[in-house]
Amino acid sequence: MARWRTAALLAVALAAVLAAAWRAEALSVTVTDTECVHEFVPYEGDTVSGNFVVVDHDIFWSSDHPGIDLTVTSPGGNTVHTLKGKSGDKFEFKAPRGGMYKFCFHNPYGAPETVSFYIHVGHIPNEHNLAKDEHLDPINVKIAELKEALESVTAEQKYLKARDARHRHTNESTRRRVMLYTMAEYLAFMAASALQVVYIRRLFSKNVAYNRV
Amino acid sequence: MAARRPGSTAPRSWLLLLAAFALLWAPPPARALRFDLESGHTKCISDEIKVNAMAVGKYHVVGPDPNFPDAQLPESHRISLRVTSPYGNSMHYAENVQSGHFAFTATEAGDYLACFWAPDHKPPVTVVFEFDWRSGVSAKDWPSVAKKGKVDMMALELKKLGETIKDIQEEMFYLREREEEMQNLNRKTNSRMAWLGFLTLGICLSVAGLQLWHLKTFFERKKLL
Repeated sequence: MARWRTAALLAVALAAVLAAAWRAEALSVTVTDTECVHEFVPYEGDTVSGNFVVVDHDIFWSSDHPGIDLTVTSPGGNTVHTLKGKSGDKFEFKAPRGGMYKFCFHNPYGAPETVSFYIHVGHIPNEHNLAKDEHLDPINVKIAELKEALESVTAEQKYLKARDARHRHTNESTRRRVMLYTMAEYLAFMAASALQVVYIRRLFSKNVAYNRV
Repeated sequence: MAARRPGSTAPRSWLLLLAAFALLWAPPPARALRFDLESGHTKCISDEIKVNAMAVGKYHVVGPDPNFPDAQLPESHRISLRVTSPYGNSMHYAENVQSGHFAFTATEAGDYLACFWAPDHKPPVTVVFEFDWRSGVSAKDWPSVAKKGKVDMMALELKKLGETIKDIQEEMFYLREREEEMQNLNRKTNSRMAWLGFLTLGICLSVAGLQLWHLKTFFERKKLL
């Protein structure tokens, strides 16, 4: 993503080709109502891919929680991509124009949720660029394609890692709840039984009115 | 993989290299994520970093209108940042700055938290800042690697790909380990639930038996039975 609008040196084209987008970070934000992230897409036709996973804060009511919505807005203000009510999904679209794209996560319920997301902008120089500059080696296109393929593997890995983290969270919470509820159940048993005994003893005690002789 | 290309003293390829380096050194226009921050609010971004991985971060306040990036930044638009490790150690702290950067090598594996907050302002303004946080392969300073080894662009790119592939492999191993851990956890929970089922039955029966025995002795004492 270099500044290739400067004087057209071969190096410019070469560097531009080989510097095809390098974003590779999965970040997490806590979404209470709406959180927006802006990402710059340099060229029209670039493939913007990414994924997001909701790592639940409040798992108890996860069956009621519909998930969060993602809306992608282009620099012109049009909605490019929408996902509603998901707890994690992948997305991919071709950018209709270059500029600043807005990715907004919206949480319909008040409970804050942590969202782990990853956005990648990929650019592969096409035949048109090749034809324009005869010094542009086709091998650079292949290298860019290879780089994009590796990026998609990395993206998939980040998605799997985030989902694994969420599953682990759920499992540990389940384990804790099982132990807690079982202990509470035992205590309830013993309390009920003790109450029963006390009640029956009281029924037969001399202090009660109809037992007094 | 760094190889010295024979005949690289030809002026054309030197020009090529020079221009390429110049472009790489030029600050990339927008490889960062842009966030909005209302004055008085906090925004926290977390990232999971492995042990011994390098992490670099750059942040700067930008003008609110993306169509005029060179507009004058008001002095009041300042942010503060604190980067904390998973165990709570503060890795970086900056107060009321317009730009900054940090770098550290992760000694603890886990979620590193970067919290931004904007000081209170009347009337409330929205500060837009760009934050570029990289760790692992993308944190490596590739231009200096290229300069040191005097490699050409293609070799540098292939080197980057090689590092990425190694990273992917390590990540696969890590995921496999985590999956195995989770499987063990599930198996243990499963056996624990089975054990707890039997324990519940035992407790039920013993409590009922205890009750019966106690009431029996009680009634026998009272000479009702």
